[in-house]
Order: sequence, then C-alpha cells, then structure tokens
Amino acid sequence: MICGALLAGTACTDFLDINESPNLPTSVTPDVLLPAGLAGTAFANNNELNRFGSIITSVTAGAANSPATYDIYTIDGANFNNQWRFEMYNGSLITYRNMIEVGEELGATSYTGIGKIMTAYTFSIATDFWGDIPYSEALLGDQNTSPRLDTQESIYLGSEEVQSLFDLVREGIADLQSSSTVNPGQDDIVYGGNSENWIKAGNALILKLANTISRVAPDRARQEIESVLQGGNFIQNNDENMVFTFGSSVGSRAPVYEYTYVTAFSNDMMISTRFKDLLESKNDPRLPLFVTRPTGEYVTIDNGFRGALPTPTSSWSRFSSYVVGDGGEGPVRFITNAQVQFILAESALLLGTPGDAEEHFQNGIRSSMALAGLSTGEIDDYFENNSDEVSLNGSEDENWEKIMTQKYIASYGNGVEQWNDYRRTGYPVLEEHQNAVGIDGTRPVRAQYINEEVARNSNFEVILPTVPVWWDID
Amino acid sequence: MNMRKVLLGFCFVFITSMGVWAQSQTVSGRVTSADEPEGIPGVSVSVKGTTVGTVTDLDGSYTVSIPENASVLVFSFVGFRTQEVPVGNRTEINVVLEADVRVLSEVVVTAQNIERNEKSLGYNVQSVRGDVISQRSEPNILNTLQGRVAGVNIGSASGSPGASTNINIRGITSFTGSNQPLLVVDGIIMSNDTDNTQNTLFGSQPSNRLGDIAPEMIESINILKGPAASVLYGSRASSGAIIITTKSGKGLQDKTEVTVTSSFNVQDPIHYASLQNDYGQGTTNNYVSTSTASWGPRFGTPGFETVVNTQGEEVPYRLYPNHFDLFFNQGRIWQNGVTLASGSENDNYILGINTTNQEGIVPNTGFDRYNVQLGGNKKLNNGVQIGGNITYVKTKQRNGTAGNGGSAMGQITRIPRSYDFGGTQWQDELGAPIYYNPPSTHPFWSTENEMFDSNVDRVFGNFTVGYDIADWLNVTYRVTADTYTDRRKQTLRIGAARNPQGQIREDMLFRSEINGDLLITMNKSDLFGTGINGNLLLGQNINQRDFQQISVTGDQLTIFGFDNVSNAAVFTNSFESRNRRRLIGHYAQLNLDYNDYLFLELSGRVDQSSTLPSDNNAYFYPSAAVSFVPTDLFDLQSSVLSQIKLKGNVARVGRDATPYLLATLFGQASYGNNLAQINFPLSVGGANIPGFFPQSRIGSMNLAPEFVDNYEVGMVLGLFDYRLELDFTLYNMVSTSQIFDVAISPATGFNTRTTNIGRMINKGIESTLRALIVDGNDFSWDATLNFTLIRNEVVEIAPDVDNSTIEGNSFLGIAPSIAVGHPYGVIISTAFPRNDNGDLLINPATGGFAPGVPGQVIANQQPDFVVGLANTLRYKNFTLDVLLDAQVGGELYSFGQVDLRSGGHIDYTGVDRDMPRILPGVIANGDGTYRPNNIQVPAQTYFAGLGGLASEGAVFDASVYRVRELALNYSLPANLLGNTPFGSASIGVSARNLFFFAPGFPADPEVNTQGAGNIQGMDLSGPPQVRNYGVNLRFTL
Repeated sequence: MICGALLAGTACTDFLDINESPNLPTSVTPDVLLPAGLAGTAFANNNELNRFGSIITSVTAGAANSPATYDIYTIDGANFNNQWRFEMYNGSLITYRNMIEVGEELGATSYTGIGKIMTAYTFSIATDFWGDIPYSEALLGDQNTSPRLDTQESIYLGSEEVQSLFDLVREGIADLQSSSTVNPGQDDIVYGGNSENWIKAGNALILKLANTISRVAPDRARQEIESVLQGGNFIQNNDENMVFTFGSSVGSRAPVYEYTYVTAFSNDMMISTRFKDLLESKNDPRLPLFVTRPTGEYVTIDNGFRGALPTPTSSWSRFSSYVVGDGGEGPVRFITNAQVQFILAESALLLGTPGDAEEHFQNGIRSSMALAGLSTGEIDDYFENNSDEVSLNGSEDENWEKIMTQKYIASYGNGVEQWNDYRRTGYPVLEEHQNAVGIDGTRPVRAQYINEEVARNSNFEVILPTVPVWWDID
Repeated sequence: MNMRKVLLGFCFVFITSMGVWAQSQTVSGRVTSADEPEGIPGVSVSVKGTTVGTVTDLDGSYTVSIPENASVLVFSFVGFRTQEVPVGNRTEINVVLEADVRVLSEVVVTAQNIERNEKSLGYNVQSVRGDVISQRSEPNILNTLQGRVAGVNIGSASGSPGASTNINIRGITSFTGSNQPLLVVDGIIMSNDTDNTQNTLFGSQPSNRLGDIAPEMIESINILKGPAASVLYGSRASSGAIIITTKSGKGLQDKTEVTVTSSFNVQDPIHYASLQNDYGQGTTNNYVSTSTASWGPRFGTPGFETVVNTQGEEVPYRLYPNHFDLFFNQGRIWQNGVTLASGSENDNYILGINTTNQEGIVPNTGFDRYNVQLGGNKKLNNGVQIGGNITYVKTKQRNGTAGNGGSAMGQITRIPRSYDFGGTQWQDELGAPIYYNPPSTHPFWSTENEMFDSNVDRVFGNFTVGYDIADWLNVTYRVTADTYTDRRKQTLRIGAARNPQGQIREDMLFRSEINGDLLITMNKSDLFGTGINGNLLLGQNINQRDFQQISVTGDQLTIFGFDNVSNAAVFTNSFESRNRRRLIGHYAQLNLDYNDYLFLELSGRVDQSSTLPSDNNAYFYPSAAVSFVPTDLFDLQSSVLSQIKLKGNVARVGRDATPYLLATLFGQASYGNNLAQINFPLSVGGANIPGFFPQSRIGSMNLAPEFVDNYEVGMVLGLFDYRLELDFTLYNMVSTSQIFDVAISPATGFNTRTTNIGRMINKGIESTLRALIVDGNDFSWDATLNFTLIRNEVVEIAPDVDNSTIEGNSFLGIAPSIAVGHPYGVIISTAFPRNDNGDLLINPATGGFAPGVPGQVIANQQPDFVVGLANTLRYKNFTLDVLLDAQVGGELYSFGQVDLRSGGHIDYTGVDRDMPRILPGVIANGDGTYRPNNIQVPAQTYFAGLGGLASEGAVFDASVYRVRELALNYSLPANLLGNTPFGSASIGVSARNLFFFAPGFPADPEVNTQGAGNIQGMDLSGPPQVRNYGVNLRFTL
C-alpha cells in the first residue's frame, strides 16, 4: 500500500507482480501425467462408448434415457461429446503428448514408450468410432487451431505426412527397449512399471490394429501379424493382460460400476435378453459369472423393448463383478490374451498366418473362461460336453462365425471391441432391435462427429452414422 | 430524515467557500419553511447577476451585502423551489420556501461520493429514496428497485430464502467478466458476488452479497448509468455502479433520535401450474409404479381400483390432488430494527441494529440476517474532518436442493397424480429413502436430508480524514475495507439420489477488498473573468482484492444423520484456491460551469492492473460530458416551460482481466460427469496415486484490457412548473477487445484459448416520466414511469467463431451462449426442424417432429422492454404506493414445465385425453412440396412431441405484467403524538407480487436457477417465486 502512495515506479512493479497462480502448476513431471493419461483412456474405453457398443451389439438393453435411445439406433452429433473431448483429445491424448515431451527432455524413454503405445491405442478407439479424424495435426494447441482430418487409411497404413499407428507403436516399443533415466512404478496403473509387459502389450496392439484392417488391407495385416509372431513377444497369458484397474472408493471407481450401481442413472440399462439367450443356447458356464441374478432368475429385457419395465429395479440383471469388480475396480480390459488368441485364430483361418486356427480358437475360449473364474476342470467339462461349440468343424464362413461369436462373448464388458468386430465381420449375427429408428432403421456403423468440432473447425463436415468407416468394407 | 438534510453539511462547506465581496447595502433575514418554522440552515442566498452570495446559518439567518446596481436576491436550496425576491429598500427580508416536488433536479451522489446538482450532469444518475426501500415486505434491496429505475434489468432467482438477484445496468457489456454493477456503500467498494460453489445444475441458490445490507439503514440509492457516470471508479464500474448512502446523524441539530421499525410478512408460493385431475401414474394408459408420468389409466377405470406400488404394497389408485400445497409452506419474514442517531453542528453519530428472520416456502429453509452499524463524523477544532463507519453483518442461509432429477425441486414437478404424496412413508426407521422411483427420493426426504447452509460473517467500514488547506483546496484520504467469510456446508445424507453413499461438502470462502483513495479537490470561482466556475479533482486509488476458497468434500458416509466430514471415507475432491489482484489507478476530473447553464466535465483515468502482462499493464480511458440548459441562457421559463436541459457524453472505460489467465496451466486430473466420475488422487489397490493433466484452456501472454465505449445524448424537459418532467436518453455502447476463452477445435488438445476478441453493441433508450398529477393540500398523487429498452447484439466473436458457450454450468446441448447476430446469453440447443417456409417438419413414420437440428439459437432471455410505473398517493396522513411493472418479451427455458407437460400432469393434458391429436407441421412429399400433417397420435405422444428437455419445446415466453408492490402507510398526526414520547409513528401494510399475468408461462416466469450472473433465463428445476404481504410499524422517539 505504501508503495502506491509514494508512487514509486519500481516498487509498484513489484506491488503488481503477483499474477502467478498459487493454485495450479505451470509444469509437471511424467509420473503424475502417466496415471492421468491411463485413466482417461480407461474412461474412454469403459464409459459412454462402452455403453453404446454393448447396446448396439445387443449385449445390454436400454431402459431409459440415452441407453434407450441407442437401443433404437439413434445417435447424432450431440453424442460422445465428453468422450471425444474430455476423455480423449482434451484428456488422455493431450496428457500423453505432454508426457512424451517432458519424457524426451528427461531421457525418460520408458515414459515416452508407454506414451506412444497408449497414444496409438487411444487414437485407434477414436478412428474406429469416427473414421477420419485429426491425427497428425492434432494436439498442437494454438500452433494449429484447425487441425486437418487424416483419413483412416493413412492413420492405419501411414503416408508421406502421416505416421502409421503401427510405426507409432513400434517407436514406443523401441523406446521401452532403450535405457531410461526415470522409470515408472505404481504410477503405471497398468503394469506397475514392468517394461517387458508393455513391450508385449505393444506387440499385442499391433495384432489388434492389423486385425482391424484385415479385410480392407489383408496383405498389410498379414505382414504385421507375421512379424509379431516371429518376435513371439506378445501377450500370451492372462497375467499379461493389458488392463487398467480402478479403485473401490468414491471418486476412484470404474465408470461402468458407477453407472450400473451408483448414480441416479443406474436404472437406465440392463442386460439384454438376447445376450442371455445366446449364452444359454451354448450352455455357456460364463453366463452366471457375467450376469447378475439378484432374485435367482435372470431379469432382462429385449433390445428396443418399449413396454413396462420389470420391477423392482433391484431385480434387474446387470454387469457382474467380472466387469465392474467387487467394489468398482473393473478392471478395464484394453487387450486380453483371449482377444489375441481369437485374432490369431481369425488370421490363421482367413489370412493364412502361421498357427492352427482351432487351437487359437480354443485357447481363446479357455483363456476367457479362466478369466471369468472357471477352473480348468470346469472348462474341460464344458469342452467335453459341448464339443461342437468349441470346434471349427464347418465351412470357412461357419468357422469364422464361431470365432467371432466366441470373441464377442469373451469381449463381454468391452463394447468398443464388440462393436468394432461386429461392424468388420457381421458376426455374430444380430437381429434388428425392436422399434428401431436410427436414420433408416439400420444399426449405426460410425459415430457422428461431435457438434462442437463441426462448429469450431471447418475441416469437419457432418457424416451420418449410416456411412461405414474405411475398414468396414461390407 | 430526508435527502436534503444529508446534503446540508456539504452545501454549507461548499458555498461558504465562495467568499465575500465588496458591498454597499446590507440585507439580513431568516429563511423558513412550513415544515421547518425554526429556520432552514444552508440555504444559498445569492445576488442575482453577481457572484455575491452567502448561506443561512443553523437557525436559518443570513446577512448579505448587495452591490450597487443589484436588486434581486435568489434563495435556493435543494428540495425547495428557488425564490427570487426584489430587495427594494428593505434591510430585512424573511422568506418562506416552498417544498419543491421535483425529483429529477435533486442533488445526486455521483462517483467517489461527490454530490452534484443533477442539472450539471451530462450523464444519468437516478436516485431512489430510502423510504421506498424500507418496509416493503422484501429483505433484498435489489428486488425493491425493480420497476423504479430506468435502464436497468433486475431479476431474482426464485422465492427461496436469500436467493440471489441479478442486476444489469444498460445491458451486458462483457462476454465473460462480471456484468453486475459495482456496489459502493458509503464509499466502501463492496462485494456483491454470488459464488456458486455448488454445481448449480444440482445444488442451491446462494445469496448475492448485497443481500447483507439491511434495507432500513439506507438513506438513498443512486444508480450511475453508463461509463461516463462511473469512470472515476475505473475498470470496476464499466457495468455502472450502485451508490448506497446509509443513514447518519447529519442534519439532526443537537438532537438524538431513536427510530424503531418492525414488520411481519408472509410468503405464499406461486405454484408451477394447475394440474389435471383425471389420470394417474403410468404410461400409454397403463399403470407403471416407477413412472414419473401421469399417462396412466383414467381414474375409475375398472380393474384399476387398486394397484401395486414400487414397494409391493397394494394401494388405491385415485387422485391425490394437492401435492404442491402439501409440500410448500407459507414463508414468514420478521424484520426488526432500532436506529439511534445523534447530531450537532460539528459531529454526528449513528448506531443501527437490524434483524431479519425468514422461514422459507420450502421446508427446512430460511434466511437470518443481523446487522450492526456504527458511524460518525466529526470536525475537529483544528479544522480536520474525520469520519467513519463500521458494519458487522451475520447472515445465515439454509436452502434445500434444486436441479434436474435428484433434488427436491427436480422431483416436485414429477409427482404422478395418483401418488399419495402426503400419506406415503418416505423414509424407513434407519433414514433410508422410500420412494416410488428410486434412486430418486421423495421431496420431503430431500428437504429433510439434503441441506445447503451458508454462514456469512462480514465486516465493512471506512475511515476518512480530510482537511481544507485553503478555502479552495481540500485533501481527503479514505480507506475502505470489506471482508467476509462464508462458511458453507452442503449435506447429502446417505441415500441422496445425487450421492447415494452420502456426501458432506464444506467450503470456506474468504473475500476481502481494501481501497485507499487520495482525493484532492480544488474549487475556483470566476476562473477567467466572470461566469466560469471550476472544480478539479485529482485522485489516486490503490486496490487489493483477495479471494480464498478452501473446499473439503467427504464422500462415502457411514453413519446416517451424522453430518460431519469425519463421517466420510474419501476426500478426493478437496482443494484450496486463492487469488489476489491489485490495481493502482490515477484519475482526474475537471468540472467547468459557465453561468449555471453550461457545464462541461472532463475525466480521465489510468489503471495499472496486476492481472495483465507486467510489461503492458497500464491503460488510459477518458470521458467528456456536457450539459446545457437553454432555458436559463435564453430566459425561456414560462408557466408552461420550466426547464430544458440537453446532455451528452462520450466515454470509455477499460476493464482488466481476472487473475492468472496468462499462462497455460496443469490441474489435478478428473474425468466424467454426473453419470460417473473419478478424481485424482486415485485410490487404487491401497495406494493413492496423484495425477495431473493440462487444463483445457490455452493462456495468452499478450492479454490486453477490454474496453467499453459509450456515446449518449439526452434531454430533460420540465413543464408546468416542473409538475411534469421527462428525462429521455439514447445511448450506444460498444464493447471491444473482450477477454474471452474462445472455443477451439477440441482436437487441438484444448477446449478454449484466451484472447482479446469480439465486439458487442448495446443500444438503448432509458426514460423517466414523472407527473405530479394532483397536488392538493389533503390529496396528492405523483407517478413515475421508468422505461428501459436495450438492444444488445454480439457483432463479432472471433475469426471463424459464430458462437461460444458462456462460462458456467450448463447441461450439454442446452448452452447459454454468445452468438454472432444475436443478443448476449441466447440459448443454443436443438431446434425443431423446419422447411424453407418455416413450417415444422413432421416425420411421416411417427407423426412426431422430424429429428431436431442441433446447435440452433432457440431462446433469447433479454426482454424487448421493461416498464415500471410507481405511484404515490397521499391523502392526509395516508400514503399509498402502487408499483406496477411489466417485462415484455424475453424467453425462459424451463425444465419444470416440460416435466409437467410431457409427464401429463399439467391441466390441459387431461382435457380430451382420449382424442387423438395432430402435431402442427407439414410432411415432405419428397419432390420439394409439402402436405399438411394429418397423422394422428395419442395425447401422450403429442405432448411428449412438443419437446423434451433439450429442445425448443422447453422455451416459453417470459413476458409478465404485475402489480409489483402495494404499500399503504398511515402516519399518526402530530397532535395525537403531542403528549407521547413519540416524535412520529406510522403503521402500514405492504404486499409484493400480489397479482401477475404471464400469458406465455403457467407460473411466475421471474426465475433463474443460476441466480445472479451472466447465465440468465434458465429454469432448471428451481424453487418457484413467491407473493409477499404483511404489516409494518415505525416510530421515532
């Protein structure tokens, strides 16, 4: 105060020099960025996109609000706004970008490696949902406020200006293989700082990416898969699964748990009668482990059902602890051994990659059943009594359908992968939902760009949910 | 005590300084009035055609020397008609002044508490007397100003106790800054912040802090309109200023006066709508126990005598008609006050104690306020003048929860007509909620178990010391401080729909503002020969503002009803936030007065702000104002024409940024919304893992101040001896260089970028017409019409940006926004699809509207115009005030009304329910032509089709015409009080919002869930408005 009264020039400069925020830091270290990024990707996989994917593939059914709208195929540019913005571009992706930048300055290659693998995984969710997206020009802040859209083809395959997702993953693996000045520990919520597992996850991610493009670009897919198989260093058992585990207290719990069991919206969705019927038709022992029966009976509704809902809501069949955890932990399964095995089965069958399709197929089922909590004995019993279900004994298409149907069951709780596989292969065969509306009464095959992007970036134009993405060739 | 007595001290000092001149004839005498036979002190006595003059002393006496060739004495005093008296040969002239009924010519309080004659002003300052604010069934001062001021929009959030009130003077001038006017009480710059700490989509309505001021302590309120009027306050007052002067002991001559006031009022809730009485719970004519709708079977339908409720009990299926009556209470407001004032020539003191106690219309809500004010002024023997006052306020507010869905207010519009609202058990023995539609809860459970408390302790005061160095030079230093803590607590007990495991949130808000002002005033008469009087003010302002919030959120409670954070298991949402800003301002104002008919005011101010880049933090802004009174120049006064005044000004005001906008920052990571949420540190596997990520805003190192430029012209016309007065002003205000977070492509990794952009224009008409319709001895009637018309337009936001969301809480898809070509604050949401003719398009498959078009401007909350008519009728000792006002135009976005309509609750949904209906619109033939819609749909489809929450169908016309206030007072005649200790006594009755007519809305449309602030016109399941009425008593000892 005195300074002002004396009108002293320099003293006043100090008097006014108080504009540095005491509340928020201007820079942070990679160990606090990594968990923030991972949690964002886990949210992207596990929250609204998962709800939509599960409903549109008839795993769950909508009872009210947005799930009921999805159930009749209706989505538009108002949907998935939070996912695009807060969970991906403004959440996990920008966080990985900062982590990679800080990691490069520090020589923390284990952080940059994880960052690149997770960036590739997260971008794959985005492009699989939306098709062409900002990628090579994205995440540059005010250096480029109107990033262009890269084609999905160039994002997967690369081009002169665009680094392919495959190469991005390989760069990440290479970083993880070099020595790092700083290494993650418990801040790595996925692998607890285990670089070997991250390398395996990276290679498994290459398998997943290759599998996604296997119909539109079979040669590239075959080449990528074969190269991973040659290295032999990918997820091969459930202990190596790439999963993100949430906590069990308020504010730390998986979104699917919160949504299913806690919030005021918890009665908007339940398990679909169709999914229950599918597993019952296969005598699948995973059904009671996947789906709850509060009253001892399965209480489900059909997709698109518009009649009186079963009461009380506490009787409804919902995601079990297999999906949500005992107290909300999840985990969120980014990539599992079962998924890898089904990819290898499908590739062996259709692309002729090395390995026996049926063996991988059965490994996939066994791995999924084990993950669901079945003992080896119980799994053996199932295989013995349902040999037709677990054998690839039909035509190529029939075998393909079997692989994809079992992969669909094994992907329970990961609606993102279920929808991707369904769009790519058309399997399992799903009936249309009751009261379907959508644009033309058919299932959406892409997400519509969020209204905010269309309004703010002239590179975006509205593409309706009926237009398939590049890798979805039929 | 009235206005002119307050002014007395000032005039006395000012006019005596004019000096004494050569003389040839001496005249003396006494000036009195009917009310003050003992003499009026401070009356200006001047010799016409000269600069010679004096003022009357304390008993009204004067002596003046008259130069040769002068012959007329002019007696003038604020509040009285000026008299011109020929001297002749007399040496004694006694004058009885007549009270002047004019209001527009009164002395007004302008920026920096400088009292000025309205005649000399080139800008608008409107004065409201304290007696129209006191005892008006209304504890919030801002609400009592509704309809009484031109150019101002005022709207209260709801009838909830202590709910905030929004005020904008001459519209909105800043995209993101506060658009509330600066609040100055006795020179103290005060916080009028609202601080919506709770998520206002779910939460309560905290008070605006102007609500801490007791109406009974107010002497007058002066509203400074536009930048020219408020330029001396600098950046802070670019939205205008409200200058409140509280009562003091000035004007009491060796006398002590005790004033006691007391009032009691009740509040009736204004229900959301009238409801239908024929159909019960369910959908599509079926009973559904969990349905929030009344589309079930008609009462009396065979087979539906009883139904099974959600708890499995068999219950009668019949009408339960009055859940609104059962839920809402009659509110009560008690206000009591004692004021002790004492004054003499050189000093005066005042002590005021006021209490307000309110029980709200919603169960378990209330508002209590306790004010103690102590003030005094003294002129020391050495000539130094000191003065100061200090006020302590304690305000307690308790509110319930409001907002969409899981709150008391969110549920009260979703009660099926067959739900036994009053007779159903809503809580089990352990406190767990029982309701037809879990996890939502019964409104009674919510009001009993979901509480918001605010406890404010506030101290504000000033200290002024001044000295007349010479008779033309005064130096004054004034220090003012305002500081408060608001201890808030939101309790959501276990079972609350919003937080089923319970949550306690404690917020400690601290705010302080300190100002030091150095004021040097110089007066000089006859600057360059005769006729020009000058007044120069030089000032310096040092300002520091601090804000701190400490917030602790405890989740996952264990013991039901133990409302303490120690009952919680998880604390992930806790934080502290501080900010501090400083500003140094230097200002100057030069007033020139030529022969009392031409006035020029030049002002300039330079501010240096801590919130701008340090190498570029100073900015200058000037203003010039002119007032010209041709009637005085050309001697045009006649019995018809009393005065013409022409006025105009050009002004600019700069505004700095909020703190910490320059850098791009990181913050603690969190994801999700009300569907699912995580907050770091994340508790995983027994470890607490911290996480940070970039904030979604990109900072700017080149930030510059915002500017508002104002051009205005106006005139004041007085006719028929001032019995009719018209004040008319046109203005054009242009806001540029707005500090704004421009929305950018989220694919950049960020959501907004802070920059200076944009252009917004406010054009307006503000006009006051006052008529003294009847002016008899026993009966008088005067009426004042205030007219406000503001046309606001966002002209430009940023390159390639057509619209942007206003900061604050809003639902996705219902965004209060700025949009190019539209007024500020329009709501962008999903519009019904239309063809090129503007016909609504119908989906031929369903008979409903075709899919909506997102991103459209669907509502404009700004009214076309606002008009208020204040009447005061006096008959003998009775005074009747009748205040009518109207808001014409403006729209309101209402969740509650959509609930009532789409849920089949509101009355008209029950009329001819069995008849199919056809939505208005056309069906595309596919060849570019259209046919009228002929698809019949059931009533439920029809009313649901009229629009859900995020749609154009939720928009209603908010026009409303009302009897804002009625107040009848009776003053006991003096002869009755002669033998009593009472100096005066009055009793009265008053009522607010007694009648209203809202053609486009089923309830009172003056509601806004988010309260005071830049987001207006949203009714997102908030409490309703109220009707107040009661009795009051005042006496003095």
